[in-house]
Amino acid sequence: MKITGLLTVIICGALLTYYAMDFPDFGDGRSPANTYLSPHFLENTMHDAHVPNSVTTILADYRGYDTMYETTVVLTAGLACFFLLRRKESTSPPARFFRHVPTGLTLRIEEGGKLPAENSKVFTRIDSLWAPDSLIIRNTCRLIIAFVQLFALYVVAHGHYSPGGGFQGGVLLGSSIILFSISNDLRRTLKRFREKTAAVLGAIGVLIYSGTGFVCLLMGAHFLNYEALSPLLGLKTGDPMARSHGIFSVEIGVAFAVMSVMIWIYYNLSSAGKHDEGL
Amino acid sequence: MIRHLPALLVIVPLLTALTVSALSWVAPRLCLPLTFGCIGASLASSIGILVEVIKSGPVVYTMGGWSAPVGIVYVIDYLSAPVLVVVTAVALINLIASSKQIDRDFSDKKGTFYTLYILFVTGMVGIVATGDAFNLYVLLEIAALTGYSLIGIGHERAPLSSLNYLFIGTIGASFYLLGVGYLYIATGSLNMADLARFMAMPEHGTSTMVMFAFIICMTGLFIKMGLFPLHGWLPNAYSYASPASSALVAPLTTKVMIYAMIRVGLYVFTPAYVFGRLQVGGAMVWIAVAAIVFGSLLALAQKSLFKMLTYIVIAEVGYMVGGFFLGNRMGITGSALHIINDAAMTLCLFLAAGAITYRTKSDDFKDLKGLFHQMPFTMTAFTVGALAVIGVPPTCGFFSKWYLIIGGIQAGHYGYAAALIFSSLVNAVLFFRIFETAYFDQPGDGKGHHHGHHKHHKHKNKMVEAPVSMIVPLMITALGLIALGIYTGDIVTHVIQAAIPGGIA
Repeated sequence: MKITGLLTVIICGALLTYYAMDFPDFGDGRSPANTYLSPHFLENTMHDAHVPNSVTTILADYRGYDTMYETTVVLTAGLACFFLLRRKESTSPPARFFRHVPTGLTLRIEEGGKLPAENSKVFTRIDSLWAPDSLIIRNTCRLIIAFVQLFALYVVAHGHYSPGGGFQGGVLLGSSIILFSISNDLRRTLKRFREKTAAVLGAIGVLIYSGTGFVCLLMGAHFLNYEALSPLLGLKTGDPMARSHGIFSVEIGVAFAVMSVMIWIYYNLSSAGKHDEGL
Repeated sequence: MIRHLPALLVIVPLLTALTVSALSWVAPRLCLPLTFGCIGASLASSIGILVEVIKSGPVVYTMGGWSAPVGIVYVIDYLSAPVLVVVTAVALINLIASSKQIDRDFSDKKGTFYTLYILFVTGMVGIVATGDAFNLYVLLEIAALTGYSLIGIGHERAPLSSLNYLFIGTIGASFYLLGVGYLYIATGSLNMADLARFMAMPEHGTSTMVMFAFIICMTGLFIKMGLFPLHGWLPNAYSYASPASSALVAPLTTKVMIYAMIRVGLYVFTPAYVFGRLQVGGAMVWIAVAAIVFGSLLALAQKSLFKMLTYIVIAEVGYMVGGFFLGNRMGITGSALHIINDAAMTLCLFLAAGAITYRTKSDDFKDLKGLFHQMPFTMTAFTVGALAVIGVPPTCGFFSKWYLIIGGIQAGHYGYAAALIFSSLVNAVLFFRIFETAYFDQPGDGKGHHHGHHKHHKHKNKMVEAPVSMIVPLMITALGLIALGIYTGDIVTHVIQAAIPGGIA
């Protein structure tokens, strides 16, 4: 069986490479991909949408419909993780670990033992696997997280002019929360960014995207035709800025969706759906 | 709003899915009515579009106001309109029939189940409606991802077989994507109509790159539809899942993938290229023959109902792939008609099997004894479905099989015609074996005789029919099989004949 698998892979790879030899040369200006539609996109992006970064225009406007579904794919991944992994009934581990904060001592409390109060300042619960109390990691991450989030907002807002946009910004935002979770623990993260928030915000993110398109439809134009938004934005009809703002609106939706779904998936994967002890 | 119907068909389910997803955390009681409303609205709008298409020809809708090839267009023509109706109707009927099953299997995650359910339908509808080769891939991803997760919850090895399906399915989807990539490198376009225009040019007709694009696109779709010998993922994935999911995914996934194959074959690569230049028809029909024979024989070897049905699905895939690659009008008509009929037949059989397992908790053949007396309505519908699969008139299965056999004979491919007849005979054996057990055998035969036969008999034959919410949709489906058979003539002359491009004899 292994041999058959290996042979199939080798044959497929060889065929793919063999037929790739017919490809136009790398960077060939006369290849169909470079002469047919690309010039249209490059030349018209400023005129159509007033967005210098043509990648953003293609992604969020010319082929914005595809991107809407790509965002939905991200949300679906989050939903799938939740659907398959999440266990609502809490299976508490046989022993719990607590740290006595003033002395740094670790306590192991067997099942049935008396646990410290939930909001105790003296005892903090720690994960059973390995949780050294590292001042350096906690404080460095605390410092970094703010800047990561600020940079994420910059990336979301500047997708029109530089590489970036909703997906990248959303990933950065999500990773800042995940960083917090890694440097502290899952329970503390869940208190700051609840599972419900992640789930609802993910759906709302995609709703912002498709809702923007639907508003265009309600304004009488085709779905996702941002031009129709100009009366709502106080612009003259045919002003390319309407498309620019439309693109910005969907980028924000993408950022929300990607951020929340990243966090949601992390919650479910790191704790095997139990949301009790994470990485 | 009529002119926006093609967009609303996909957008309304998408918006509803997102709302349901958010509401499941806030107001879970609203999820079910919303789901019903949205699937019902999809069915209504797809019927509306079908009427519109029959009245005044194909409908084109440009997304974002960018016309092809710059933007993405939706094209709903004679081929896609009937499939749209089938997809939404199957989704609605199964939703009604499975409501009790959903309560039982997904009680704590119903909101998410509904969200995934609607998203799956959105993906399927989108695949059928789109006129853009890349957009098809994106929607394929939605349909596949939701399908994997719906199937992942069930009994025994459901998560493992879903994981298996995920690996294989992802390879299939990537192959399709690679093929689209090769086509883009060769032509610079992603729009289907535009690609078909390029295919008429001699430099593309002879390009090896385009040929490879065809091979890899089709291989991807074959993996996705479970064509023998690429079917390994299918039986376990469909038989271990919860019946609420498998009765949705099994009738739709394979059929919509066959639709995609016909769409890509006829409207992207064009018949002149596929049947004229490449000459792959003969070889493909032989593979289909192998699929039919293999599927039928393995169905015969199964000992439980769902497993048997999954192997019948594999044989049916062979019917449709073979019919398409015969390359003549009769064969392709039969293939397209069989998409509709087979979706209905598979739905009927899976719903009946679902109702049986809902009551008996087992789908093993030996637990079917005396079922005709215990569940008369379910078994009647099951019988109608079985007769359709065997191909007994006036059920719809007979007519599409008729077109396929005539197509095989016209193309001079007697092996294919013989395989169809062989498969029908095997199906007859399969189902009559079940009828025999379920009608003549008494439950508990071989044990419990000392109880006093009469009393025992009476007790066991009490009617324990499935809930009404399961029986009514099941009965509607069974009647639908007969109605589809009676109206075959109209469906073929008004819809399917117009869907096949001229130039196919």
